[in-house]
Parts: sequence; C-alpha cells; structure tokens
Amino acid sequence: MARSTSKDAQALFQSLRSAYVATPSSLKIIDLYVCFAVFTAIIQVVYMAVVGSFPFNSFLSGVLSCVGTAVLAVCLRIQVNKENKEFKDLPPERAFADFVLCNLVLHLVIMNFLG
Amino acid sequence: MAAAAETSSDRTLRNAFGSVLSFFILLLIGVLAFSIRLFSVIKYESVIHEFDPYFNYRVTQFLTKNGIYDFWNWFDDRTWYPLGRVIGGTVYPGLTLTAGTLWRILNSLNIPLSVETVCVFTAPIFSAFASWATYLLTKEVKGAGAGLTAAVLLAMVPSYISRSVAGSYDNEAVAIFALIITFYLYIKTLNTGSLFYATLNAIAYFYMVCSWGGYTFIINLIPMHVLLCIVTGRYSSRLYIAYAPLVVLGTLLASLVPVVGFNAVLTSEHFASFLVFIIIHVVALVYYIKGILSAKMFKVAVTLVVSIGLVVCCAVIAVLIALVASSPTMGWSGRSLSLLDPTYASKYIPIIASVSEHQPPTWPSYFMDINVLAFLVPAGIIACFLPLSDASSFAILYIVTSVYFSGVMVRLMLVFAPAACIMSGIALSQAFDVFTRSIKFQLPGISGKSEFDAGDTSSSSVVAANDAAKPDKSEETLKERPSRKNKKKEKEQVEKASVEKASTKSKKEKRLLVLPLEASVIALLLLVFLGAFYVVHCVWAAAEAYSAPSIVLTSHSHDGLHVFDDFREAYAWLRHNTEVDDKVASWWDYGYQTTAMANRTVIVDNNTWNNTHIATVGTAMSSPEKAAWEIFNSLDVKYVLVVFGGLVGYPSDDINKFLWMVRIGGGVFPHIKEPDYLRDGQYRIDSQATPTMLNCLMYKLSYYRFVDVDGKGFDRVRQTEIGKKYIKLTHFEEVFTTHHWMVRIYKLKPPRNRIRGKTKKSKTKTSATSSSRKSVARKKNPWH
Amino acid sequence: MAKFLLYITLTISLLPFLAISFSPEIPTDRRVLVLLDDFAVKSSHSLFFDSLKSRGFELEFKLADDPNIGLQRYGQYLYDALVLFCPSVERFGGSINVASIADFVDSGHDLIIAADTNASDLIREISTESGVDFDENAAAMVIDHTGYAVSNTDGDHTLIASDDLIKSDVILGSKNIEAPVLFQGIGHSVNPANSLVLQVLAASPSSYSANPQSKLSSPPSLTGSAISLVSVIQARNNARIVVAGSLSMFSNRFFRSGVQKAGSSTKYQKSGNEEFLTELSKWVFHERGHLKALNVRHHKVGESDEPSMYRISDDLDYSVEIYEWSGTSWEPYVTNDVQLQFYMMSPYVLKTLSTDKKGLYSTSFKVPDVYGVFQFKVEYQRLGYTSLSLSKQIPVRPFRHNEYERFLPAAYPYYGASFSMMVGFFIFTVVHLYSK
Repeated sequence: MARSTSKDAQALFQSLRSAYVATPSSLKIIDLYVCFAVFTAIIQVVYMAVVGSFPFNSFLSGVLSCVGTAVLAVCLRIQVNKENKEFKDLPPERAFADFVLCNLVLHLVIMNFLG
Repeated sequence: MAAAAETSSDRTLRNAFGSVLSFFILLLIGVLAFSIRLFSVIKYESVIHEFDPYFNYRVTQFLTKNGIYDFWNWFDDRTWYPLGRVIGGTVYPGLTLTAGTLWRILNSLNIPLSVETVCVFTAPIFSAFASWATYLLTKEVKGAGAGLTAAVLLAMVPSYISRSVAGSYDNEAVAIFALIITFYLYIKTLNTGSLFYATLNAIAYFYMVCSWGGYTFIINLIPMHVLLCIVTGRYSSRLYIAYAPLVVLGTLLASLVPVVGFNAVLTSEHFASFLVFIIIHVVALVYYIKGILSAKMFKVAVTLVVSIGLVVCCAVIAVLIALVASSPTMGWSGRSLSLLDPTYASKYIPIIASVSEHQPPTWPSYFMDINVLAFLVPAGIIACFLPLSDASSFAILYIVTSVYFSGVMVRLMLVFAPAACIMSGIALSQAFDVFTRSIKFQLPGISGKSEFDAGDTSSSSVVAANDAAKPDKSEETLKERPSRKNKKKEKEQVEKASVEKASTKSKKEKRLLVLPLEASVIALLLLVFLGAFYVVHCVWAAAEAYSAPSIVLTSHSHDGLHVFDDFREAYAWLRHNTEVDDKVASWWDYGYQTTAMANRTVIVDNNTWNNTHIATVGTAMSSPEKAAWEIFNSLDVKYVLVVFGGLVGYPSDDINKFLWMVRIGGGVFPHIKEPDYLRDGQYRIDSQATPTMLNCLMYKLSYYRFVDVDGKGFDRVRQTEIGKKYIKLTHFEEVFTTHHWMVRIYKLKPPRNRIRGKTKKSKTKTSATSSSRKSVARKKNPWH
Repeated sequence: MAKFLLYITLTISLLPFLAISFSPEIPTDRRVLVLLDDFAVKSSHSLFFDSLKSRGFELEFKLADDPNIGLQRYGQYLYDALVLFCPSVERFGGSINVASIADFVDSGHDLIIAADTNASDLIREISTESGVDFDENAAAMVIDHTGYAVSNTDGDHTLIASDDLIKSDVILGSKNIEAPVLFQGIGHSVNPANSLVLQVLAASPSSYSANPQSKLSSPPSLTGSAISLVSVIQARNNARIVVAGSLSMFSNRFFRSGVQKAGSSTKYQKSGNEEFLTELSKWVFHERGHLKALNVRHHKVGESDEPSMYRISDDLDYSVEIYEWSGTSWEPYVTNDVQLQFYMMSPYVLKTLSTDKKGLYSTSFKVPDVYGVFQFKVEYQRLGYTSLSLSKQIPVRPFRHNEYERFLPAAYPYYGASFSMMVGFFIFTVVHLYSK
C-alpha cells in the first residue's frame, strides 16, 4: 500500500512538473513573484514567533503587505491567463491597470499602518 | 434587412428613452427620499433628536472647530468624570467626518450653513444616496426594472425612515448607505471579475467600518456567501477576485480605524473571514491543479492530499480552538454574543438588556416597519431562485440572515429593511412584467409581433427553424433582463404544461404563456393599489410615528397644541446658573444631552462603557440620603438631575427606569438587593411600597413637594397616590424644577460647619418666644 | 463749611483704619462683644479682660438682655468675636438668639462660652449647637473627692484642681503650665465621633458630675476623664469656639489664688488659670495656629507657565506657599509633614513636600501612566491648626497618535519586508510590461 502510494506520489509529481513547465513564461514570472511574497511572509511569522509580537501593528502591516501582494498577483495571473475563458474579452492592459491601482491603495495603507 | 435596420434604430431609441426615463425616475426617488424625512422639521423645528445624536453633534462641533488632528486625539474630560473618555479611540468617526466634510465644502462655497443644520440634514441626504445604491445593487441582481422598484421602496420604508429622519443624526444614517454600496460593489466585482471594483469594494468597506459597529455583519455575510458558492459548486475565479483582495485590504483598512484597531484580527467576529480565506485558497489550488493534471493523476493527488492534509488540518484546528476557548467569551464581544444567544444579555449584562432598542421586536412591529413588503418578500425569494445566479444567491442569504437578526433585536430591523426592499422590488417588477406582457400579447394589432415573441420562448428545435426567431433573439438580448428571466419562468410553466399536452404547436404554446387579459388588467390594478397602500402607510408612519424629537414633546388638548420643552429648559438653567466646572450626576440616559446642551461635566453617559461607574450612580440613587450623599461627594458631584413624569404623565421617567438602576447597581454592589424594593414581587410606589423604596434617594428626589401640587400626590404615570407624601431632605436641596415638573435639579449640601452635640433640642422653652423667631429658627436650621 | 471740611477729613483719615479692621489679610479679631449677666463681672474678671485689651482687642461690654444689642446691622457684622459670660441668661435682648449665634460662627467668627452652676437652657443650647453636651441634670456640678483643690471654704469638693491639659503647643503655648487649674462649675461631655471637638482640660478619672446638695439616687451619667471641663471646637470654616463649664475660673480670685491639689504636697503660689486662659484666648482669637496657603503653582519641568492639561508620563513640579499668623505678621510656616496627593478617586502619587524654610513647599514627580481627570490635593489637618484643603483639577490625557515611539529596532524586519514588497512590485511591473 505504501509502495503504491509512493509510486503514485512520484508519478504525480512528474505529471505536475511536466504540466507546469508548459505554462507561458509571463505567468511563471508572476508565480515567482507570488512565491517571493509568501516566503517573506513566512519569514516574518517565524520572526514574530521568536521575538514576540510587540509592535503588533508593524507585524500586521508587514505580513498583510506580503499576503496582499501575493493575492493581487494571483488575481492578475487569473486575469491575464489566456486559458481562462471568463476573461477572454478583458484586455490585459486593463487588468494590469487595475492591478497597479489596487497595489497603490495597498501600499498606501501599509505605510499608514506601519508606524 | 429593412426590418432589421428598423428594429436596431428602434432598439437604440428605446434604449435611449429608457435610460433617460430611469435617470429622471432616480432623481425623483432621491427627492422623495429626502422630502419624506422632513416631517419633523416642519412639525417641530430643525433640532437634533433623541440622545445619541447629541453626542455626535458635539463631536462634530469639536471637529469643525479644532480640525481633524485634535479630533483624532481628543481626550474628553467632561464626561465619565473622573475617568474621562478618549473620544478619538472610542467613536466611529465615519458620521462625524462625513458631516464635517460636508460643512467644510459648503462653507468653502460660501454657503454659510451652521453645523447644526448640516447635522440635521445629513440623514435625509444619505437616504437619497442609499436608495440610489439600492437601485444599483438590485440592477446587478435582477435588472434595471427591479432596481427602480427596489429603490422607490427603500426610499419610503418606515423602518429606515425611523432612524434617518431629519434630526436623527446617528451612525445608521450613513451606515446603511455604506452597507448597500459595499454589497453593490461586491456583487459587481463578482459579476465582472474586475480588480478595479474589488478595490472600490475595499474602500467602501472601509467607509462602513468607519461608520458603524454593524460592519461585522458584512464581514460575516460575505464569507458565508463565498462558502455557499463553493459548496454549491459555483466556484469561479471571479469569486476569488471578489473575495481575496477584500479580505486583505479590508482587514488592513479596518485596523486603521482606532475603534476597531487590533480587534480586526483578534476577535472571533472576524475569524469567519479568515477561515473562508484559507478555504478559498485551497479550493482555488484544487481547481488549478485539476486544470493542469489529467483525471487519473488528479485522483491520486486527491487521495494523497486528503490523507496527509487531514492530519495537519486537525492539528491546526485543535490549536485554534484551544486559543479561542481560553477566553471566557470565546473572543466574541458582549453585543455579538447577545445577538447569537438572545438570552445572554439578560443573564449576564443587564446594561445591554436594559436598552429598549435591544429588545426583540413584536410581530406587529414587522408590519409597521415594512408593511406590504412582508408579503412580497417570499415571492421575491422564489424569483431569485429562477434562475439562481451568484448575485441572487447572495440576496437570498442576505435576507435570511437579516430576518434572523432582526428577530433578536429591534434595532436590526434596519438591516433587514434594504434586503426586504430588494426582494420586494424583484417580486413586484417580475409581477408587473408578467401582467404587462400578458396584456401586450392579447391586445389586437400587435398579434403579428406577438407570434415572434411567442416563438422564441420555447427552446425546442421547432422554433429554431423559424427564421424570425433570430432577430428576435438578438432583440431579446437588448431588452431588459427581467423580461428574459420572465420568459424563462414562462418557459418553465410551459414545460410543465407541455408534459400534459403532447402537442407542441406554437399557437397553443402562445396561448398558455399568457394570462387572460381581464385577469392581468385587474391584477395590475390591484398591484397598483397595493403600492398605493404602502405609500400611504409610509407617509403616515413618517409623519406621525417617527418624527418626534424626543427632546420636545407635544400633546393635543382641547385648547390646542401643548408643547413640553422641559428638557431644554433644564439644560439651559444648568448652563446659566452653575459654574463651568460643576459636575452633574444623573442616570446615563441624559449624559449626552447634558454635555452637549448644558455644557457641564457628567458622571456617566450613554456610551455605557464602564459598568462599575454606572453601578456606582445606580447604587447612589437606590441608597438612603446620607449614603447617597457620601457616594456623590466622593465623585465631586455638585448637582443631581432627576426626570419625573408623574405630573404630566410622561412614561419614560426615572421612576419607571428605577428597577434597572437597582439591578445594575446590585450587579456590582451586593448590598443593593432587588427584592428589597419590591412588595410581593411587584414594583410599587404607593403606600404599599417597601420602606427601602420609600427611603431611597430616587423616590425622595422625584416626589419632594409633589403633594403640594394637588394635595394628594397623585402620580399620573403609575396611576396611584404616592406612599410617602411629606418628604424632608437633609443632605440635598432643590434648586430647580421645570415648568411641568419633568426635570428636577438638586444640589448637594456642603458638609455642616459644626457638628451638633447629642442633646435633643428642648421644645418647651422656644414656645414662649415669638412665632417669627421660631420660623426664623426653622428656616435658618435646615438640619432638624 | 469748615465743619463740613473737618468731617470730610476726619472720615478720610479714619478710612484706612476702618479698612484695616475689615481686612481679611489680618485674621486676628479686633472688636469683641462681651455679654455679661451684670456689670459686676466686668470688675471681678478684670484681669482676664485687661490681658485681652493689652493685646489690642476692643471690648464692648453689654448686659445680656440689653435690648439694643445685635451682632449685625444691615448684613454687616459689627463684631469679630463674641464672649458669653452670662450663664444664667434666659433670653438675649435685641436680635441675638441661638440661630444668630450659630450664623455668627458659621460666617467665620469666634466664640467663648462660659457656663456655670446655674447655666440656663439657652447657654446649654448654644453649647450643644457647638458640639458639646452639658450634663442634663441642671443642678449637677463636677465633684472630685481625690483631685479637689485644698481650700478652707469649700467642703463638698466642687472646687477642683485639674492638670490634665491637652498636649499641644499651638493651643496652649510652648511654655509648660506647671500649676494645676482651678475649676468650679459644671462638666460637659464630648462625642468621640465628633472630629471637630477637642478636650483641652479634662477632669481626673476620679471625678463625677452630680448635685452636691442631694444624695446620689443613681449612678452619675458623666464620670471620670469623659468629663471635659474646657473644650475647644474648630469648625470646618476655621471658626474657633471655647466652651468652659465655669465662669469663676476666669475670675480674678481664681487667677490670684494659690492652689494645692489634694493628695499632692506641692503648693503653688499661683494657680495656672491665668496662664492657661491667656494662652487659650490667644489661640481662640487666631493669634496662633492660623495658616494660609498661597500661590499654588504647577508646571512641567523646564517650563514656567501652567498648562491646561498634562500628558501621561510627563514630569511636573508643584509648589505652594504656607504662612502662619504670628499675631502681628505672617511668618513662613516650617514643617516637614505637608503631603501632596495626585488624586483620582484614590491617590496615585503621594509625596511629602519639601520646604525651603521660607514658606515655599515644592516637589516634583512623574505623572502616572493612567489618564483621567486628576486633582492636586493637599489636605493638612493638624491638632490646633486651621485646616488646609487645597484642590486643583487638572486633566491628564493619553498619548497623541504621533507621540508614540517610532522606528523601533524590533520592527525593522517588518519595515524591511514592506519596503521590499514595494520594490518587488516596482521591479515586477517593469519586468511584466517589457517581457513581451
């Protein structure tokens, strides 16, 4: 049972990897950006667990900026992905403009909340 | 071809006509919403009503005078003496900032309106905006026709009028508008999937958080809806775009507001949003992987993930539950808990239970507040199911939850009203559609067109062969959406009927799709009457029931209108006859009005944030004179204010509220026991009252010298004669009583200069002296 | 015309004197009304009155039932103090009665009451108003069979010699009174719960109050040291009252006579009455033990003007000046036990003020971490001194939103993360736009 699951797991990873390689590079850039954001968030959580949550507002703003960036990037990816049928008549420039606007609001709020 | 060209120009003309018409209709709806709320200004005067608005008015005055930085950091030392209150951190700033901005804009345009005028008229203006927002929201759910109907219903619904008349300057005036706009933007994002609307949604949510504590309703309803969509298999990436940025940006923006602060992430009220946030990410990931893997691999992935993931999940949930259960209220605030468990407040927090707005509503109040809509709401719910879209499922969820909460607290009828208007708007517009279409089909001369219209309603291939169907189909897409939905409904009726009838002839189908002409005409007329009845009721409710500023009372007697302006009389007296630093003690109901109108420091006020302080005042009111004097002296109180309605029959006076004072005081100071004040479980103030009751401060201050009025001391509210008629005050002295005895103000006597010895005064010697000297002696020595 | 001018100049020249006598700056009384049963008392008690006159008092002697006497006219008080040496008066003449005397005291004026064996109900009533209770038995006198004064005339031991004096330099002067005080009269009791009354001269534990003529039918109600012979009362507005149970203790005879207490061998040439009563009268008429507090000032350390509101964790200075009236001028009051409370329903800060020996008391402390409406409270009540009760209200606010600490080192990672996010966003947009 365990052997079959491990074999299945390996096969699974193989298929995942092969499917992923097929995605266009622009989407891969977005994915990289998302990973960077999530990674930074995890670092901050670990730091808070070690040091304690004293300037809690700074912690919140730091973590939420990372999470927010990740979420917005994922939204952009959804909108820009050509395989998504729901968004086929949405011009990518419009999607990008919305993304920029949302990020601006996010960072403005973060700056306010950080201090 | 010519027909097509004709129909396209017809189409554009009809479109243009339709949009101009709807623009004017919306304008008129706004004017209607504004003017129906002006009854109180016309009948009484442009004055601020009730209690809470006075506090908001005072805060707005401060804001306009000192600017936003001082307002943000304001420490108010004139309430809750001696604790003070940090206004910047405990008030929802949305309303005051809105009114302040409005005033500043008007003043910069050189329209010199006073702050009071702006405050009084803020609510009607925003109710106009709210009805426009309802139009937008319902248009997203069902279509423009339903939108217009819902807007006009909201403009007039009595429940909303009750909290937004001109003069009711309270948080709800602005908050309902914010609520509807937030919902509209959410639905719009859901329908279009655009990040732009998601940003706007977050900003609207921020405005809602600034305005009202009821924002927790939004942050729980939207996750519930997302969960519902996921569970019913309606997950789409638009849902992700609608929800995920809202949670992140919304939480951030909510933490910016000082009242909420870290509660945005720490209290249980927000946990639902985070939970659903995690769930939607999981679901999104699952769909993504499903998209890139083949079916077999996907099954493998599922089993793998489920086996590992379950373990991890259980661990995390266990940790979370441990964290949450460690706090006694499980992280919920008292008010939220009292919403979930209606009996919670009366058991544990008497202050919340004592507010009249927090009581459950009675059945008649539903009819009073939403009137005809109560019948239309179920029809609207059914209409939302046909067909079920994301937006209409949201509307259904909204109305179900708001019905439950409105059943717990009267105040939340206000949140129920927009949902009821949306549903009723949908139902009414659908009904109108059916009837007008029926009439249109059956009027002679239009039968040619009606063939085309009837032809495309059935989706069977018979119609596809009909080449007239094609332009009609395109025409159909341009017509209003409710008509299309209506046709789908008819189609379902047809399908049901066609089960019975085997024949699929179009002519026969056409006949079954419409109702008989006479029936539809009569039904149309009846619907119009229904609407008229609703309008009449709303106008009556606005004029008679909800326009009373409780600061001024009127009564109609045989010689005309009699006005009782006692409250303002008392506050003006305080303002002019006491020192600026004098402290006034009264029950917490009157705190806001005293600070705003009399400009004196008070001990407790309507914010009720410190139960112990209120209990101290309650204990003082329930104690005998000397103990009460000690308590008030320790708080540096100079004046005590008591509201008494026994002379004129004003039922909300302090004697009627007295049992709450005893309960709240007894909750903190156990020597005050409620049964001491009741005779056989009944609350009495006549000769059968208990000695504790007859000796307590509230009784003495209310009925002092009352027997001098009519010789018998007949209390018109309790409808009996009072028990103890001749009252002597040893530690207080009366300084002011208003014209109708409604407000009585007493002053604390300073401690005696000399303490008398124990020998009793001999009466026999002084009888020989002249009577004038005796009376002089009696007047000069008030402590005997 | 000349006469008119003369009158004008006279009044103008007299005005300063009038003004001085009305001035609140000088708390010592000037004009004293003495009410007597008959004018014989004036001569029999002349030593006492002369001592008063020598200190600058203007005494006006009137009979108690003189119909022209009055304490005030047209709302102005005519006298600063009242001496009642009329124990047997039934009814005062003129406009004086119990109520007017009570008002007189309540408006800040002093009173000396001397009762005696035949004290009338009126005098008893006035004393009860002041806070002492004479023995209800009208004929009772204080009798002491072990502490009586040895004398040839008195056989029933009503003339007693008492040396149970209160120990207070303020009330009785710094000089120790050696000789016991002679007393013959009625005793009174003082309610121990009454904080305003003090026993100045108490009877010895073996004394009791009873009718010397008749046999005792029941145990006497007043016995032992509970019997007070002379008491003082300082009212809350600092008016002072002396109640003495014997008029004869003020007389020349008692002043001059020698005294020997029964059971002790020391024979004093002169009784302690003159010393005792002179010192006591100095205290009653505010020549000693009268304090005033001026110039309450508080400010933040480093600034000089008074703010209207403090912030939590501010450092502030507080200072007050206290002076004592020496009989002729205001002297700085020097002591080390004046305390300041920073009070909001309970004292958050309690500090002893330090003095610079010139009357200035000051201290500095840090405002506690609690916000609210506080009071600077100085409550100074010492035996024999006037009470000082100063209170100044001042609000204390919490931090403004821009007064918190900024750029905490502990938060650098968060700042770093947020800025890196912004930088990343910028880079990403560039890459995304130009990576076609």
